[in-house]
Amino acid sequence: MAVPATDKNSARFLRVPRLALKHREAVEAWLFVSPILTGFLIFFLGPLIAVFFYSMTEWNLLTQQAAFVGMENYADALSRNPDFWHVVRNSLIFAAGLVPLNMALALTLALALSRPFFGVVFFRAVFFAPVVTSAVAWAIVWKFLLQNEAGAVNQILAVVGIDGPNWLREPDWAMAAVIVTRVIKMVGLNMILYIAALQTIPRDYEEAARLEGASNWQIFRMVIWPLLAPTTLIIMVITTIGSFKVFDHIYLMTGGGPENGTLVLAFYIYEQGFKFFNVGYASALAMIMFVVVMVLTIVQLMLRRKDMQ
Amino acid sequence: MTSLTLSNLEKRFGNVEIIRGVDLTIKDGEFVVFVGPSGCGKSTLLRMIAGLEDITKGSLYIGDRLINDVQAAKRGVAMVFQSYALYPHLNVRDNMGFGLKVRKVPVEERQRRVKEAAAALKLEALLDRYPRELSGGQRQRVAIGRAIVGNPQVFLFDEPLSNLDAELRVHMRSEIASLHKRLGNTMIYVTHDQIEAMTLADKIVVLHDGRIEQIGTPRELYTRPGNLFVAQFIGSPKMNIMPAAAITLKPAGREVGTGAAHSIGMRPEHLSVVAPGEGMLRGKVVISEYTGAASLLHVALDNDETCLVTHDGPAPAADTEVGLEIAIENLHFFDREGNAIDGKAIAEPAPLP
Ligand SMILES: Nc1ncnc2c1ncn2[C@@H]1O[C@H](COP(=O)(O)OP(=O)(O)OP(=O)(O)O)[C@@H](O)[C@H]1O
Ligand SMILES: [Mg+2]
Repeated sequence: MAVPATDKNSARFLRVPRLALKHREAVEAWLFVSPILTGFLIFFLGPLIAVFFYSMTEWNLLTQQAAFVGMENYADALSRNPDFWHVVRNSLIFAAGLVPLNMALALTLALALSRPFFGVVFFRAVFFAPVVTSAVAWAIVWKFLLQNEAGAVNQILAVVGIDGPNWLREPDWAMAAVIVTRVIKMVGLNMILYIAALQTIPRDYEEAARLEGASNWQIFRMVIWPLLAPTTLIIMVITTIGSFKVFDHIYLMTGGGPENGTLVLAFYIYEQGFKFFNVGYASALAMIMFVVVMVLTIVQLMLRRKDMQ
Repeated sequence: MTSLTLSNLEKRFGNVEIIRGVDLTIKDGEFVVFVGPSGCGKSTLLRMIAGLEDITKGSLYIGDRLINDVQAAKRGVAMVFQSYALYPHLNVRDNMGFGLKVRKVPVEERQRRVKEAAAALKLEALLDRYPRELSGGQRQRVAIGRAIVGNPQVFLFDEPLSNLDAELRVHMRSEIASLHKRLGNTMIYVTHDQIEAMTLADKIVVLHDGRIEQIGTPRELYTRPGNLFVAQFIGSPKMNIMPAAAITLKPAGREVGTGAAHSIGMRPEHLSVVAPGEGMLRGKVVISEYTGAASLLHVALDNDETCLVTHDGPAPAADTEVGLEIAIENLHFFDREGNAIDGKAIAEPAPLP
């Protein structure tokens, strides 16, 4: 009879403090995350909810008149306003050009610069420098370099006998120019991420493969590339998101032109909201962009996870 | 013919000379072990043979083919790395088949050879696992399996057992020995564990500071170390070395001089405890360490030297006065430069006139 009693007692004795401890840990955890959580609520979730509300209004900043219109703004964007699909298409082209180009270049540079050799730090710095230069200065300088006849790019091309296009005045070339200059500016960041990942891969893998007769390409394809998969995924996600959000570059180099050829989603939202003061419509566009980016991110994550199994 | 000839091999990293002229012949099918203290260049020498480091000077032959400038993959060698270097994203089957796949061996043959190697190493049940799902010993076996599959002429091992616990190490040691017996390939094995060296080797190469100190069978190195370094490196606990001047040799009760000998070595296991006053040396037990099979006595000698003695049977307590005896043939004599000199001339008492 005494035995179960002690059991019960000891069980209770053990349980109470454990729960208390759990509770305390939880409180501490919440305390630690509370600053960032506060920031998240005030600066992200708050505006997001606000934007969602605005997106259901017809609100003109100039006349200060607002009216609740339900899903009208979304319907406008998705089915009535042809601009919207044109803009989405531009954004997709921009992403489809920028993401692969950026990643391929970043990986190539990282492979070349991940091993120490004389001057390696210098080269890394050279390719990383554009990341930390002002986007405004960068865009303006490139706009200057890409002028039709006076531009340095076309003058150099002329030397080798190529008659360069008027880069920023022809829709397709303008898009290409914006993509390439943006890649050159941002590639350093991904390069650094890839270098960091490459440096965590033990040298032994490469040597073992080489001893077994693998060529450089085989070593890359069969050993290095699979081991880089997690990094590639992260880089792909952040680069894709970044490409959907591109604004400053477009604003400064082409202003969305020519013939709306570089009018991408973020810039279109800006125009609608702050040039034409269609706050409700702009808010609906922003919500759509948010959902698109989120869906894309989730899809990428899921694809890679399946790929890795 | 898969003999190897290393002739005056040298390796520099920048200005630092790491391998300073190594001459060595390895016979077909021989099991050669490189031993030496950490940093002496064992791995570097092995990697030069593998083709992972280029050769600064000298020549390297496999059979009678000069291979200084032959690519690693074309030398017919396979290497087992200390880290195992198993590709984490490939399962055991693909890890073992990697080299064959790279060399475009047809799928069926690849499967067959992987299966054979897996059977030889009892890995069949693990073929679909990933390296992270294996124990240390299993990983080790996969690494060896990967080397076997390629059917190399020469196996190179760089401290393959150093990441295993003591028990597994003993087990894998015997597996490697039986593998060598079965395959009969030339094997070169790097270790700094001298038990591994003694048990596995046909021939041990003792390296020190980028040079070969001595080459010999385990028995030769133990019984006739060529110099002080080898004498102290081979054998555990290590050999006692004393200045010759501090010792009076009294074989059969007669005193003999120590001749040209500058120092004298005695292995702890060759010394035996006798009554004080008897034997060649006399001292006081300082510490007695019980190790199970025997005790290790630290004896402070009257001549101010300390001497280690392996003693079985009940150990004398600390502070006991003891005498130490050693058979003359177990003494090692070294000259001023530390090179061994033939003890016979010294220790053999000159015939009475
Ligand atoms: N790539 C390199 N560049 C410069 N020095 C090197 C390089 N590789 C090795 N060394 C130096 O060469 C010496 C020998 O190294 P090695 O790895 O061959 O030693 P080891 O005998 O295998 O030692 P351990 O038992 O610790 O593995 C060391 O002093 C090491 O610092
Ligand atoms: Mg080593």
